[in-house]
Amino acid sequence: MTRFRSITSRVVALHVAAVGLTSILMPLALYWLINQAANSLHRDALLGQASTIAGFLRPQPDGRVALDIPAELLPLYSGGSGLYAYAVLDATGRVLFSSRSDGAALFTPKEAGSGDWVKRRRSTGSVLFGVNVARAVGQHLYRVQIAQDLSHSDVIIDDIVSSFFPRVAWITFPILLILLLIDILIFRRALDPVREASTTAAAIGPASPQVRLPEANMPTEIAPLVHAVNQALDRLEAGFRAQRDFTADMAHELRTPLTIIRARIDSLEPGSLRDALRSDLENMTHIVNQVLDIAELESFFVAADARADLLAICAEAVAFMAPLAVAQSKTIALGGSEAPVWVRGHTEALFRAVRNLVENAIRHAPTGGSIEVEVSEDGVVRVLDDGPGVPEAERASIFRRFWRRDRTQSDGRGLGLAIVARVAETHDGSITVDNRPTGGAAFVLRLRPAPALTAAN
Amino acid sequence: MRVLLVEDSNELLALLKRGLAAGGFDADTVNTAADAAHALATMRYAVVVLDCGLPDDDGLSLLRDMRRRGDRTPVLVLTARDGVSDRVTSLRDGADDYMAKPFAMEELVARLHALLRRSDNMLGRRLTFGNVALDTEGRQVIIDDTVRTFPARETAVLEILLRRGGNVAPKRLFEDHLFGLSGKVGSNAVEVYVHRLRRLLADAGANVKIHTVRGVGYLMAEDKGG
Repeated sequence: MTRFRSITSRVVALHVAAVGLTSILMPLALYWLINQAANSLHRDALLGQASTIAGFLRPQPDGRVALDIPAELLPLYSGGSGLYAYAVLDATGRVLFSSRSDGAALFTPKEAGSGDWVKRRRSTGSVLFGVNVARAVGQHLYRVQIAQDLSHSDVIIDDIVSSFFPRVAWITFPILLILLLIDILIFRRALDPVREASTTAAAIGPASPQVRLPEANMPTEIAPLVHAVNQALDRLEAGFRAQRDFTADMAHELRTPLTIIRARIDSLEPGSLRDALRSDLENMTHIVNQVLDIAELESFFVAADARADLLAICAEAVAFMAPLAVAQSKTIALGGSEAPVWVRGHTEALFRAVRNLVENAIRHAPTGGSIEVEVSEDGVVRVLDDGPGVPEAERASIFRRFWRRDRTQSDGRGLGLAIVARVAETHDGSITVDNRPTGGAAFVLRLRPAPALTAAN
Repeated sequence: MRVLLVEDSNELLALLKRGLAAGGFDADTVNTAADAAHALATMRYAVVVLDCGLPDDDGLSLLRDMRRRGDRTPVLVLTARDGVSDRVTSLRDGADDYMAKPFAMEELVARLHALLRRSDNMLGRRLTFGNVALDTEGRQVIIDDTVRTFPARETAVLEILLRRGGNVAPKRLFEDHLFGLSGKVGSNAVEVYVHRLRRLLADAGANVKIHTVRGVGYLMAEDKGG
C-alpha cells in the first residue's frame, strides 16, 4: 500500500472502485428486475388473451370445433395492424385457425414445448412474445397460441424497459458520487483529532519535552497508539530530566568543595604558598567549569523560537574578558556592526562560545598584542589575534576535547574550543579557523540569522 | 553590619562567617530555607547571602517569597549551578547580585559593600581603587591622601569607573550620565573627557590607568609599572 499512504486516500480509492463497480452492476440488476416484471406483465396479458380466444371455441355437433370471434374484436387480431396474433392447434399439432395470412402456427411445437411462453427475435429485428395454452373443449384438447409483436406502437411496457438505461440508470452514478463526497467529509471529520495530534507532535522537540498528544477526542482505534506515544514521551522526558539533574548535582558536588578550599586558602597568611595554591585552584576551577559546560551542552537544545542579539553577546564577552587582557598588557576591541544582530540561538550558550574564543585569543596573543572581535550583520563573529596562528594540519583537531599541541604541557585549557564547537553544533552553525594574512589566527563562528522583532523588545 | 548567611554546607558556613567577620560583617548562619525564613521574620538584616541549592527548599523560592512580601533587603545569591541554562534566572527572581561558586572571599566582601552602597548608602561615601578615592558627597578626589578637585564631568567619569572597580563600564553609561537623555552626544565626546581624566590622574601620580575597550567601553585597572 505504498501508493496510498493516507487512510483517507485508501478509503477514497477503494470507494471509487466500489462506486465504479456498483454503477455498472446496479443498473444491470435493476434492468434485469424490471425486464422480469415487464415479461411477467406481458405473460399475464397474453394468458388473458389466450383464455378469451379459448372462450370463443365452440364445439360443433360433428365433433369438430369452430372459432367464433365477435366482429368488434376482429381488428385486434388482424394480421397487419392488430395488436395480437393467434393460432389454435389440435392435439396432433395441426393448425385449425390462425390470424396469420398464411394460416401457419405462431410457434413450432418445439418452441412451444419448452414452456408456456416464448420469446423470439424476428429477422426484421422486432421481438415476438407469445404464450401457449392448452385448453379442453368438449372431449378434445386444443392448444391456443397468442403472440404479440413488441415493436408494435401500442405496446409500451417494453418501451419503458428500453428507455430505462438512457433516462433513469445514469442517476445511480451521481448519487454514488454524492455518497462518496459525504463519506470523505465524514472521514475527514473523524480524523480531525488525529490531525490535531500531528500538529502537536510536530512541535515536540528536545527543547519542549513536556508536550503530550491530546487523547481526549481520539477515535478508539487510534487512542492506544497515541497513548503509547505519550508513554514513550514520558520515558524520554524522564531521561532528559535525569541527565539534567545529574549535571546540576555534579556541579553542586564539585563546586562546593572547591568553594571550601578557596575559602580556606583565602584565610591563609599572605605569601607565595597562598598565591601558588590560589593559582592551582583557579586552574582546577576552570577545568571543572569547562567539564560541567561540556556535560550540560551534551543534553542542551536550542528552542525553535530562541533568538539572541549577537552584538550584545559579543560586547558582554569582550567586557567580561577585558580585565584579563589588560592584566596581560593586551588590548581588546569590538568592531563591525553597530546595530543589534539577531541570530537564532540561546544567549547564554552563545556568550560562553564567544567568551571561550576570546579567552583562546588572549592566550595566544603576544604581550602587547591585540584581540579583535568583529560582528557582521549576517550573524558571523570573527575573533582575530596576532599570535602565531594555527598550522593547517591542526585546524580540525583543535576543536576536539582535551586536544593539546604539546602533550607534555598541561595547562588544562583543552576544552574551550570544544565548547565553542558544541555550541555551534547545537545552533546549526559552524566554527572554522584560518590564518590572517598578517599571521594571527582568525576564528569564524557562523550562526543562523533570525528576523528582527518588529516591536521593541 | 548584620548579614544573614544561608548555606547548606556547615564547613563553608564557618569559613564564610570568619571571612565576613574580617570584612567587617557580623553574620548569622542558617542551613535551611525554613530557618532563613524564621530568621528574616524575627531580625532585620542589612544584606542576605543566599545559596540557591538548599536541601529543604530551593533558595530561589525563599527569595521570591521575600520579594512578594515586599521585603527589599538586598540579596546576593550564591550558586553552584551556574549552568548554560540557569545563569540569569536568579537575577530575574529579584536577586541584587549573583556569584558563582567557587569565589574569592575578598570579592564577596567587595560585592556586599557595593550592594550596601547601592541600597542605602549605609557604608561610607568613599569609592576607592588603587591609590585613587572619590568622596561621592563632596565630589573630591583623593590621590595618595592629597585632596584634589577635578572638573565636574571628569569627576563623573571617574565615579562611573570607580563604581565598576576593575570591570568594564559600557560607553552607554558615560553618555547617559554625562549628557542625560536630552543632550546630543558627539561621537567622541566621552573619549574627550576620558582623555582629560587620564591626564589629570597621571599628573596627580595615580597608580591606576584607564583602558579603552574599543566598541564596548572603558576599564580602570591598576597600573603595573608604567
